[in-house]
Amino acid sequence: MTEPETTLEGWTPEPGPDLPLERIIDLAFDYRGDTTVVLTDGTELRGYVFNRNADAGEPFIQMFDADGAGPRAIPYSRIRTIRFTGRDPAAGNSYALWRRRKETGGAGRDERGRGQG
Amino acid sequence: MSVPAAQMWTVAAYVLRQKLRGRRRYPLVLMLEPLFRCNLACAGCGKIQYPAQILRKQLSVEQCLRAVEECGAPIVSIPGGEPLMYPEIGRLVEELVRRGKYVYLCTNAIQLREKLEAGLFTPSRHLSFSVHLDGRRAEHDESVCREGVYDQAVEGIREALRRGFRVTTNTTLFEGASPLRMREFFDEMMDLGVEGMMLSPGYSYSKAPDQEHFLRKTRTNDLFARMLSKPKRRWRFNQSPLFLRFLMGKHDYECTPWGNPTFNLFGWQRPCYLLQEGYAESFQDLMETTRWERYGRKSGNAKCRDCMVHCGFEATAVNETFGSWRGFVETVGVTLTGRF
Ligand code: SF4
Ligand code: SF4
Repeated sequence: MTEPETTLEGWTPEPGPDLPLERIIDLAFDYRGDTTVVLTDGTELRGYVFNRNADAGEPFIQMFDADGAGPRAIPYSRIRTIRFTGRDPAAGNSYALWRRRKETGGAGRDERGRGQG
Repeated sequence: MSVPAAQMWTVAAYVLRQKLRGRRRYPLVLMLEPLFRCNLACAGCGKIQYPAQILRKQLSVEQCLRAVEECGAPIVSIPGGEPLMYPEIGRLVEELVRRGKYVYLCTNAIQLREKLEAGLFTPSRHLSFSVHLDGRRAEHDESVCREGVYDQAVEGIREALRRGFRVTTNTTLFEGASPLRMREFFDEMMDLGVEGMMLSPGYSYSKAPDQEHFLRKTRTNDLFARMLSKPKRRWRFNQSPLFLRFLMGKHDYECTPWGNPTFNLFGWQRPCYLLQEGYAESFQDLMETTRWERYGRKSGNAKCRDCMVHCGFEATAVNETFGSWRGFVETVGVTLTGRF
């Protein structure tokens, strides 16, 4: 059975008791598209979150801005939430989906990777 | 085995030096990714799915060389993205060769012929084109989701060989691969004249019951055991025979994620080439602050359970060869008899 393709694209989570900010940050870090990081002072930063370190003395994320500038580091303590505003380039790229599309004349991410270069 | 003696000696001497220094963790192959752009979009490739501004970026040659110095590994593998799309690939390779590194330029070879004709590279025993080929024409074109790529790659290989370059192939096998077709593929590559072949099972992760994980490992072992049983003397593999025996189910190794550290635009990738659990700013930081106990097949980490990939386990096999008499004798035995 093939798992349904899911994407967080368009999701605008609000942190709360059931959804801690740390979880949203983890999801943003796994997300392959741009996000909008909303700071506690209301500033919005659009770009790609490529790193998060929850084990550091002061936990932080790192991102490149939407125009490629950066990287900049932002402590967790300055983040209010993160919105999944950019297109998800990983959506609809599963191998199974690609096979199905090929078979029906119509290309296709499950967790799959090459073990070498 | 087809790894040239000089390269093998360099690696053996390096491993012995690390052992004499009492270094528990040391790198063997630096995976240097100067860019994420590619001229293919293979299904399931985890390397190319980024926003446009990230795909447009690339490391400078100086950043690459600093990473190489920091890491110190004797072998540098350049995957990507597609390294032939890196505008400074000629200079990068030249600098690495000048530093005595053994370079594996991992390419889908679509642009290989064109770059060779442009005189971008000079043949050297330190440089090998490692061409991505996942099987015979039908299987490879399906794997890369585009028809005609196999033919382009073969054309590139022929041109590289004609000009005196070292050429190897790297093949990733997913479930469903046919052992028989793969044996034909090995013949085909030997006919073509490549120096050696590298094989790896693909990485896959899914939340499946224990029984399914067990079956997956059994199927991988079965595929490699059937593919490599009674190997022809003419087949040459550019990798540790012990790794191939591990894939056949004859060893139960643990992975060595620090053996093939990965450096790219984001920094030093934790913990390995496949998993992206975060990035360290320096190689030392990667080695010292990564929680290595969280990774590996025995760690209980679900993402590592089914993993048997080349970039995690080849270093374990090499360490076994040069770190124990048993491993050394076994490696020599396989090399002399040609039997896995
Ligand atoms: S050629 Fe390699 S980097 Fe390019 S899409 Fe295919 S697997 Fe990914
Ligand atoms: S088992 Fe595989 S995925 Fe896990 S750390 Fe080792 S190489 Fe990486």
